Amino acid sequence: MLIRKLTAATLTAGLVLTSAAPVATAQTQGPIRIGVITDRVGPAKPYAEPVTLGAAFAAREINAKGGVLGRQIELQIEDDQGRPDISATMARKLVDAGAVMIISLSLSTATQQAQTVSLETKTPHYTPSNSGDTLTTQIANPWFWQTGPLGSTQVATLLSYARTRNLKRVALITETSGLGQMTARSFRDALQRNQIEVVAEEVVPSGATTAEPQMQKIRAANPEALFMAGVVTPENVLMLRAYRQLGLKMPILASYNMSVPVYSSVAKGLLDGIAFVDAFDPARPEARRFVEAFRKDQGSDPYNLHGYGYDGIYLVADAIRRAGSTDKEKIRDAMQSTRGFVGVMGSQGSSYGFAEGRRTGFDANGMVVRLYEQDQQGRVVHTGAR
Amino acid sequence: MKTVVQAALVIVVLSAIGFLLGPWQTDIYRKLLLWIALALSYNFLFGVAGQVAFSHFTFYGIGAYAIVILVTQVGMPLPLAALAGVALCVVLALAVAIPATRLDGFYLALATLALAQLFIVFLNEGGAVTGGTGGLASYRLPDIAGVTLSGPRYTVVIVLLTTLTWGVISRLDRSWFGRACRAIRDNPQAAAAMGIDVARTRVIAFTLTSVLAGIAGMVYAFVDNTVNPPIFGLENAFLLLFMVIIGGSGSQFGAVIGATVLYLLPFVLAPLIGHHHALVFGVVMLAVILVQPRGLVGLVKSRPGAGQ
Repeated sequence: MLIRKLTAATLTAGLVLTSAAPVATAQTQGPIRIGVITDRVGPAKPYAEPVTLGAAFAAREINAKGGVLGRQIELQIEDDQGRPDISATMARKLVDAGAVMIISLSLSTATQQAQTVSLETKTPHYTPSNSGDTLTTQIANPWFWQTGPLGSTQVATLLSYARTRNLKRVALITETSGLGQMTARSFRDALQRNQIEVVAEEVVPSGATTAEPQMQKIRAANPEALFMAGVVTPENVLMLRAYRQLGLKMPILASYNMSVPVYSSVAKGLLDGIAFVDAFDPARPEARRFVEAFRKDQGSDPYNLHGYGYDGIYLVADAIRRAGSTDKEKIRDAMQSTRGFVGVMGSQGSSYGFAEGRRTGFDANGMVVRLYEQDQQGRVVHTGAR
Repeated sequence: MKTVVQAALVIVVLSAIGFLLGPWQTDIYRKLLLWIALALSYNFLFGVAGQVAFSHFTFYGIGAYAIVILVTQVGMPLPLAALAGVALCVVLALAVAIPATRLDGFYLALATLALAQLFIVFLNEGGAVTGGTGGLASYRLPDIAGVTLSGPRYTVVIVLLTTLTWGVISRLDRSWFGRACRAIRDNPQAAAAMGIDVARTRVIAFTLTSVLAGIAGMVYAFVDNTVNPPIFGLENAFLLLFMVIIGGSGSQFGAVIGATVLYLLPFVLAPLIGHHHALVFGVVMLAVILVQPRGLVGLVKSRPGAGQ
């Protein structure tokens, strides 16, 4: 009886799955379909959504100028819910739907899991925003590229800035998230390599209501500067509030997380003077043009995350144009031969390019250190990791 | 004999579906079957034995990581690695279950929640062994007796796992052990008075279901040939709990319905209403709890416990 019911249930599920089967479209005419995997409900949503918006804006701009190879670009955007297993499922859906390229804008781990599909199906796959250092090395996937600035580049840029300040004794503070801990570890290792002593290291636990005990210990250690490695906004705000309340004066050097402009509203009055690492230089001519065009189209100013998506679509369009067709193999060759591609991201004069044998394309000296001025992200005070 | 024929028919039908589907649908189908297998074993632990534990998904992860590490890093043959993985699940489950018998309800939930979080920390900090935050990738299922199990053939493996899980849980549920678990769930003191060893029964239920989750994890490890920490996080542990509650706690058929509905819901709704499918999930959850506390299975069954 039960087995009969189980059979009926599974057959029904099978029918649902079969009826949902998409029809793969030939990519020789009509719009060029580019698949986008983003996170619209999961943990990467705050980052993935602006990147996706930037990508959609770029596609509209390109289409308004006549498209690529005389064809319009069509973005098929799929939500992986920030779940790596669903990301792989969505990659298969996009391949079935005839996408000539998959662009991943979700979590780094989700992008990695989707890579198993791009490798198997030989579909060009690219992330313009993920910063995971091992995305192009953990899986030997010649169909995958990454132009998000690597985590190691971020740390190297901040350390390069620290060297210009001749720092010898610093403190390190983070929170308990996995990424926060990992960032702190990268900072600690890099500081030690640069013979900079970490005189205090504090962690603000998840759900804390104050960071004053941690900041008091840091004050007692009397460091010359404070490195902030936290990536969770509420805990970072607690750190900044405690720093101000205790009247601390040592400079703060913050991770890439502080480049997200949400801090201007949630940490109002706490930000002045903080140095943070970023991949966006607002003085760069290409960035200025992008800001203007985006503002005109959307009625609001873009920030660094929008720029990643924007550059990503333009870089892919450039590769398809150079490939001269939507043949996946030709697109792969064109992607790999990308050199000197100038986008809106990066320091002045920097460009994207994939060196021989490498599939990471962000300029190692393309990041900048900026200052918060009057609670707004301000000028660039340092460029590159040299 | 009739049962064997029916079971074989189910396996043939479910496997045949795997041969008919395209790559995308196959991917959904395989992962759905794995969710069903997990929901079935968790339903026994939560719905039948009455143990509120959040470690089920952790054992899924332990099984997945164990087989990958043992095959790729230790160099064990696959069958031996599978046995070692099962042994690891048994040891860890006993290590959790024996002290946990002193705990009940809320406290057991907290203890297993701590285990789940500890596991994620271990994965993130495990260096080259666990691959850290990026997990492990670039491996493949070794050939078994010269046969490469990939594509629809691997779907058959998943079908076998799910149907075997159904069979094992079904047998357990109908045995004296299942009745003992239900008696303990309803009233531990009365069960003890009837001569049931409450502590031992709880330990066995926890260990058996955790091992089943671990075996499902071993099979999952070769679906995408990559394992990473977010897959085995608390979010999925709670999703599993919701699957069992929405489907109908204590009912195997309910576990299948719950897993199917909640897993497929985003795929069906996202093209229609975008990311608002998350809102529908919340509404369905509330509606089921308020209107049909016996879960969706209660809508199609008229008597409690039917379908077991």
